[in-house]
Amino acid sequence: MRKNLVTTVAAVLLCSSLAACGGNNNAPSNGNQKPAESNANASASTNTATDTPQQTEDITQKKVKISIYYPLPDQVENRKLEDDKIARFNKVYPNVEIVKSDWHYAPNEIGIKMAANEAPTFFNTYATEAKFLVEKGWAADITDLYNSYEFKDQINPVLQNQFIIDGKVYGVAQKGYVTTTVVNKKMLDEKGVAVPSYDWTWDDMINTAKGVADAKKGIAGIAPMGKGNEAGWNWTNFLFEAGGEIQNIADGKVTAAFNSEAGKKALDFYNKLRWDADVIPKDWALGWGDAVGAFGQGRTAMVIAGAEGVLEQALNQGGMKIEDVLTYPMPAAEKGGKHTGVLGGDYLVINPNATKDEQEMAFRYITFDYFTDDYLASLEKDIQARQTEGKFFIPPHINYFSPDSEYGKKAQAIFDKYDNVYKYSAESNALLDGKPEAQYNTQEYYGSMTNVLQEVFSKKGTDLQAQLDAAAKEMQSKYYDAIKP
Amino acid sequence: METQAARNAPLERKVRLAAFMRKHFWGLLFLLPAFIIFILFLWVPIVKGFVYSFYHIDFVKGNSFVGFDNYKVALHDEDAWTAVKNTVYYMFLCLVIGFWIPIVFAIAISELRRFQGIVRVAAYLPNIIPVVVLYGLWRWFYDPVGPINGVITGWFGSEPVAFMTDTNWSMISLVIMESWQQFGSAMLIYLAAVLSIPRDWYEAAEIDGAGVWNRIRHITLPSIKGLLGLLLILQLIGTSQGYQSQLAMLDGGPNNATLTYALLIVKYAFNQQNYGVAAALGVLMFIVLGLLAIVQYRLQGKEGDVR
Repeated sequence: MRKNLVTTVAAVLLCSSLAACGGNNNAPSNGNQKPAESNANASASTNTATDTPQQTEDITQKKVKISIYYPLPDQVENRKLEDDKIARFNKVYPNVEIVKSDWHYAPNEIGIKMAANEAPTFFNTYATEAKFLVEKGWAADITDLYNSYEFKDQINPVLQNQFIIDGKVYGVAQKGYVTTTVVNKKMLDEKGVAVPSYDWTWDDMINTAKGVADAKKGIAGIAPMGKGNEAGWNWTNFLFEAGGEIQNIADGKVTAAFNSEAGKKALDFYNKLRWDADVIPKDWALGWGDAVGAFGQGRTAMVIAGAEGVLEQALNQGGMKIEDVLTYPMPAAEKGGKHTGVLGGDYLVINPNATKDEQEMAFRYITFDYFTDDYLASLEKDIQARQTEGKFFIPPHINYFSPDSEYGKKAQAIFDKYDNVYKYSAESNALLDGKPEAQYNTQEYYGSMTNVLQEVFSKKGTDLQAQLDAAAKEMQSKYYDAIKP
Repeated sequence: METQAARNAPLERKVRLAAFMRKHFWGLLFLLPAFIIFILFLWVPIVKGFVYSFYHIDFVKGNSFVGFDNYKVALHDEDAWTAVKNTVYYMFLCLVIGFWIPIVFAIAISELRRFQGIVRVAAYLPNIIPVVVLYGLWRWFYDPVGPINGVITGWFGSEPVAFMTDTNWSMISLVIMESWQQFGSAMLIYLAAVLSIPRDWYEAAEIDGAGVWNRIRHITLPSIKGLLGLLLILQLIGTSQGYQSQLAMLDGGPNNATLTYALLIVKYAFNQQNYGVAAALGVLMFIVLGLLAIVQYRLQGKEGDVR
């Protein structure tokens, strides 16, 4: 009896150990299986699934469980808005069980999430990630769902095109932005510094920063990000304004292009900010959160980022007044130049590991509020609730719908009714010039440029061209040479 | 006859095994969870790390064998050599700045006649501060207008020090922060050892006219010599794998000045999704640390022989 017990226990434990070591159920059992074979298998299984009678069944009659992208705990107002959406969705689709996932996309976590099959049914991501996610097989091809969506032609094409690759759709645009400079007007007023025109230049930016900076009190004129990949991302705006490119794609080759004359000019501007004007924080190793936090605390008068995130922190968490925060386009390199900023956006991507039913329900959930009056009613209710609580609503800088469309006008009419809705300046918006990011290895490029910027910020007299050339050489040999576009 | 014995052999083995199982059943059963946990969370990852270092890893599309390519990439990466240098520097700083602090505190506290308990708790407190709070706290301590720079500029009239962004200071600053936080646990271990030294040795030394320094030199330190060696080895192993504060405070910057070897592995694995090269770097580290362990083991053995 005892012998049998031991044998049974051992067998169970052995089986569970092997199962635990087995890894991802979705991964091919043969570790050597080639991607092509794997893809073929995947598409074969997809076809089979499509052919089965199951698919012809009414999806509203089936029990489906989806996990959704849900705002973080500190985004209390956004959570309320999402809860309201869940309730309305469940009224229409009572057969769907919704699980809230507060995992938010991070480039250094997505691999693990997908490998462990723990990513939610749909998740947020940014414009840079489209090619990366598609190449890795971490974004479901939702072309059929998208093509049968009734409002697809009304979705802002500038945003949506970032997630259409080789004619296939891999994500749904939520909102977008052109990178801006957010200015603390109150700090300028207190120092008697003239508020610059929206059609400003690099020189205006330096002069404004000089007027406000007070190193002894730990106050900077501007806080360009200096830590993490966001440092490279911040600097890329200036590269674009100087007329530069990150990479060139021609004759079947990708070539690093940021070490151009324009690149040197942009780097020299950073050099001036640090060493000549001395207007950046002494502790310049600031990531997105640090720089935006410094802005909210009044430790820097300017910060470079998508406006919405900065405004949310400054107004709703930092307690700043709505009239004290101005959203500027990025400055032009010279008078008459373009106010180019990196075009970014938030997208929702459906997990390819989800079943077809889950994918369809996730798509329905994502687009549930798009172009509906119900959403506008819910939005208005939310704005009113925020008003009672002394909180602000910050509309996306660029929406998934065009502001000139009928729906856009309806939304704007609601925004105009309330003084706790942040209003972007029309003059500023007219100057915005969005430029999409690089197609290949964007995050690696940002990381490489971050090292260059840190060298410039930490050592006076750094050879700017040599630094750029070294970074370009590294990008070329490590990544670009292997790409066959 | 031989055939008969050979035929009986498996039966005898079975009988012996059954007897062994009957005798040690409960012992084996209690060992089983530890055994399984060790296999699952220690040996399987180690073996998989070796295997993965020869593959291009793609968890979705499947892995492909690439031979020594990952090792070539790792060894040709300039950042890897920077990371090795930084790690050695970090280990050195941890020894110079951090190793002696818990010893001094343990001895000092053991000498206290009153309030020993309170001081012991106070010294251990930094250890229980959540790291997020710790990093925020020290970011403020090191701020250009923070308290440390307040003393430097106010009392000494010097220029403020860029603790985080000056490449000469960044690693030192991190080590000071970690030493402050972590000395408490080592201190408790040393304190236990110091307090276990018979008091009459000290009394005899005092009667013989030995002062504090002589008592420490001739009684305390020799008595905790073994522990000193053990904690030194553990610190070397621990610091060789350090990356947490470097990642959280500076992300390896400024310009790779705090990029440690373990942080490079993390960046290869999670920023670049290149798990193969990350595994290769891990294997190389495993080999180096393994060799160090063997050397240390041999040296210890020789020391034992001399005695």
